[in-house]
Amino acid sequence: MAAGLAFGPRWSSLVMVSLLALMSSGCSLGRLRQAPSAGPGSGNRVDPALSGDGRLLATVLERDGRARLILQDQPTGNLRPLRLRGREPHQSPALSWSGRYVAVLVQDGEQRRAVIEDRLRGRLLRLPLPPGSGPERLSLAPDGSRLAVQMLRQGQWRVQVFDLSGLLERDLPAGTAVRGGGPP
Amino acid sequence: MSPAAAACRMLAPLLPMAALVLLAGGCGAGQPVPLVALNRALEQDDSSREPSLAGRWLAVISARQGRERVQLVDVDRGVQLPLPGLNRPDAQPLSVSVDVAGERLAVVRQLQGRTELVLYQRSLGSVRLLPITPAGVPRRVHLRADGRQLAVEVSRNGLWQIDLISLP
Repeated sequence: MAAGLAFGPRWSSLVMVSLLALMSSGCSLGRLRQAPSAGPGSGNRVDPALSGDGRLLATVLERDGRARLILQDQPTGNLRPLRLRGREPHQSPALSWSGRYVAVLVQDGEQRRAVIEDRLRGRLLRLPLPPGSGPERLSLAPDGSRLAVQMLRQGQWRVQVFDLSGLLERDLPAGTAVRGGGPP
Repeated sequence: MSPAAAACRMLAPLLPMAALVLLAGGCGAGQPVPLVALNRALEQDDSSREPSLAGRWLAVISARQGRERVQLVDVDRGVQLPLPGLNRPDAQPLSVSVDVAGERLAVVRQLQGRTELVLYQRSLGSVRLLPITPAGVPRRVHLRADGRQLAVEVSRNGLWQIDLISLP
């Protein structure tokens, strides 16, 4: 007699359910959950960026006609303070490895500008970009060494990459033997 | 005249020059420096958008002859890497993000009338669909630098939300 039949119909069902559960978890490509809440009330959450170590999540919260950058601990959702206030709408945030640097596009009068907040030193850097460039998207290398900017020039999207090594200290994973690092 | 005063008188004419040197150094240190060769190469395409930098890698969506595709560039070596199996002629990429190893790329693309999130593994040349649950329409994706988690904008019931997906 086959071993499966020896357990009886009840055991067979349990074995089947267990097998299915194992198979589904094994086949699953990822565990999915929603980002932590951004507080009471609803609004669009867009432009997600994770720090390299996964401890921080930056998003743009669209609520009450504003588009504001928020920075949250993972997975608690606790909000982290930012020096960057006003100059909305905010767009396309990017975080370095530890989240020391937060790059984002802001509105400065008639112009879109790229700024980087250094959360360790508590300073805000305005990045001068070529005149006439209309920045639309940013990507900051996790170590803070380079910045890619998507600009609109002559009706076409153009990505330009800039070296920031003369501007920012490196933000490398913990254990790397260099000066600098993440927030306390 | 005291020795200190004498030294000041001797150094006074040099002060403007020292100030100029300091100013020049300060300006040079505070500027983003364009990567000219790379930027020139990117201008060969009709357009490029949705940049993602990680480590030595730059992923972008570039257009050539009316067709958009995902492109991966080794910034240090200035070469473009092949992505076999990723760029299908019937797919329209919307967003891309690369990990620091240049091994994983998360891509949102439109294919056969639906919008899907996929994970590409370069060493395997494999494309795997990442299901969105509950159902929703993905738009922008950001892959964590170590490639172990991604965050993606998802539209559900008229509202944009952020889903976080852990990757094995």
